[in-house]
Amino acid sequence: MAASSSSSRPQMGRNAGLVLGVLVLAALPLVLGASNYLLGLFISALILAGISLAWALLGNLGGMVSFGHAAFFGVGAYASALISARLGVPVLLAIPLAGLCAALCSLAMLPALRLSGPYFALAILAYAQIFRILATEATWLTGGAAGLQRYPGLPTIFGFDLSTRTGSYVLLVLLVALCALAYVAIRRSHVGTALRAIAESEDATRVVGVNSVMLKAWMLLLSAFMTGLFGALNAHIIGFLDPDYAFSGVWSVMPIIAAIFGGYRTILGPVAGAILIYMFDQVVAKSLIAVGHQILLGILLAVMILVAPNGVLGLFKRAKGGNRHAEA
Amino acid sequence: MLRLDQVSVRFGGLMALKDVSFELKGGEILGLVGPNGAGKTTLFNVISGLTRARGRTLFNDKDISALPLHKRARVGIGRTFQIPQPMKHLTVRENLTVAQVFGAGRNDPARIDEILDVMQLSEQADRDAQSGLALQELKRLEIAKALATEPKLLLLDEVLAGLESQAKRQFTGKLKELHARFGLTIVIVEHDIETISDLCSRAVVLNFGQLIADGTPAEVFRNPLVVESYTGTPHA
Amino acid sequence: MTDLILQALFSGVLIGSVYALVALGLALAFGAMRIINLAHGELVLLAAYMAYVVESRTGLDPYMAIPLALLAVCALSALLFLMIDRIREHRELNSLILTFAVGIILTNGLLLLFASDMRSTTSPMLQDAISFGNVYAMKGEVIAFAVSLVLMTILWWWLKKSWYGRAVRAVSSNRDAAMLMGISPVRTELVAFLAAGALASFAGIALYTMSVIQPAVGHGLTVKAFIVTVLAGVGSIPGVFLAALLLGVTEALTVTLASSALQELAGMVLFLLVLFLLPNGLFGARARRG
Repeated sequence: MAASSSSSRPQMGRNAGLVLGVLVLAALPLVLGASNYLLGLFISALILAGISLAWALLGNLGGMVSFGHAAFFGVGAYASALISARLGVPVLLAIPLAGLCAALCSLAMLPALRLSGPYFALAILAYAQIFRILATEATWLTGGAAGLQRYPGLPTIFGFDLSTRTGSYVLLVLLVALCALAYVAIRRSHVGTALRAIAESEDATRVVGVNSVMLKAWMLLLSAFMTGLFGALNAHIIGFLDPDYAFSGVWSVMPIIAAIFGGYRTILGPVAGAILIYMFDQVVAKSLIAVGHQILLGILLAVMILVAPNGVLGLFKRAKGGNRHAEA
Repeated sequence: MLRLDQVSVRFGGLMALKDVSFELKGGEILGLVGPNGAGKTTLFNVISGLTRARGRTLFNDKDISALPLHKRARVGIGRTFQIPQPMKHLTVRENLTVAQVFGAGRNDPARIDEILDVMQLSEQADRDAQSGLALQELKRLEIAKALATEPKLLLLDEVLAGLESQAKRQFTGKLKELHARFGLTIVIVEHDIETISDLCSRAVVLNFGQLIADGTPAEVFRNPLVVESYTGTPHA
Repeated sequence: MTDLILQALFSGVLIGSVYALVALGLALAFGAMRIINLAHGELVLLAAYMAYVVESRTGLDPYMAIPLALLAVCALSALLFLMIDRIREHRELNSLILTFAVGIILTNGLLLLFASDMRSTTSPMLQDAISFGNVYAMKGEVIAFAVSLVLMTILWWWLKKSWYGRAVRAVSSNRDAAMLMGISPVRTELVAFLAAGALASFAGIALYTMSVIQPAVGHGLTVKAFIVTVLAGVGSIPGVFLAALLLGVTEALTVTLASSALQELAGMVLFLLVLFLLPNGLFGARARRG
């Protein structure tokens, strides 16, 4: 994909078509009058999509694979609940603030940026565990293992009640779209180009003047912010939080599966992957194997890595005819 | 322009560089000569910021000894690697764009086209830098990348290695062209005596991490110490 | 109070020896293939469950499960090796995710077969307490400790003296040079993986005899093994042993002096501290930069 500023006419036309297509898809469940149950599934799937997007951003732009995104998710969730409940901040303001809190927490992980692949992944995992345990132990703040319940839900704005399934769904679609747009903007920028190279040729970029450490730090902060946003939004939709839920390993693992399945080098991949994987898990896997249904996901992930490491969309690309140009 | 003051580098028990001092004036083309393992690449690493050293490195009268690696390109020091290190996952053009934006601090596509043209890479501009280029092209990309950062000082690490004489002479001519056209100061690591004599106004010799000779190529290659340490005969 | 601390130290050392076995297995595989097997803890757990099956179905000593465990775990290790070998691009990252996936499969597989109930040895002989002055240990713990020492010595000897052991060391330090010397890296990697599997089998059975197992434990074991390898830095078996003991003792002290909920936290904090303050580990030198 040719980078930077000027897109050619057909390229822009194609992008517009893609965006339109996605919006139409997004509107379908509402238009077709999906049940509350189905909308609820989509909502959860979209939360996952958001985290998958944030995870893929970190992995793709900077080459940092994280096994601990649950940390950001949980911090965002608790921060938003507490800010809106204890400080009386309106929910729609608390959510971005919670995202900022998650980003701030990721500052503690900056030293981990020096580390190579597996060490970074596991350092982040260690952080996630620490946050979970801290959340459980800090009962005065978080209500501990008993959970947090009395905090506001989503408000009604301009007569549109966001706390209904429909309302939450729309808000979520908008948020995912916004995050996707931000991802695209960064990837198209010069910073994005540099980041694509940093993953496997960091020294080469530094020699020509790229402050790779700072760029990676920004991506970590952004990924944490995004994940925190979705953690916060989820908290207000669900209405109940406890440490084992908010910091559950599921929030670290599922996005990885989703992003890999969908193809984590693209923008649509993690989103599509999340929706497909989540639906598969909830509808198919759970009914086949009640407990331990994640085994099917594990098998899927293993097969994907062996057969199609660039995800399902990657398979499409290969089928359509080769990569002469550099992969995005 | 460049001054090294008692620069020393120690790796474990080994002194890679020992009290190396010399001065380089703007516009010079300096040959850096010496047997393998003498410390030439280490010296480049110190100047470009990859390796920390004791002693001082001054660039245009500013002490850059503590300046981090990524800031040295901005300051005007460009460098190529002996084994080409393209930025992966990017096209040739993107490689140059990143170098220009981050190393020179501006975005000038016309200039990039100019560099591509000079380095004869215009055809390959949209190919993947890592997988779409032959070795010669990779070497040219190394130089093109460095040029894109708009350096004042260009460090070339054995760019002629692996070329046969005809190609070497062409490349040498190209380097002279770049020197004139972009107003560069160049330090080049090279084994071939003929190339050094042809290209460089001055040469310094390293052996076992120490500077043992400094002068015109003719003087340096007559120096018995140099002949003793470095066996090389002019290639046909 | 001192008695409590002494007991914690003692128990910590005993469990630490098992951590050492697990960590050595992880390190062997990493050294040879340069990939971290995130399913390693689950392999250990598999062996532990084999011990459970043998004991609960046949009433025999859990130790009788050793041959079965060795077979199962080594077979799985070989399978895992074959899968990893198939990966061509982005090897480090993709093998990380692959082993991660296998870990999920194993954990959930065990969950399906055995449910999430906690299991532990029921053998009265192994649960018998022996006293060493003012501190106590279960017989099972002491045997596990002794076996760990023996295995570590055997490993040390194997790496130093045997042909395959030396090949593993050669491939770990310089793959290309090893190839030039006629060592087949692929075969050596397989051997390293199998050796890691063997260590995992023994560790698993030891774990069953001295502690409680649950499907979720596997993941935690991998993380602990990783922490130990980071603490130890590169290279020496004694280094890994000491680092593992350190982890065991830290955990035990945290449980005794603070609370059992913070047990995991202790290991994590220790890990991060060493990672950032002592990039070369406590005992070794390793460049951990990318």
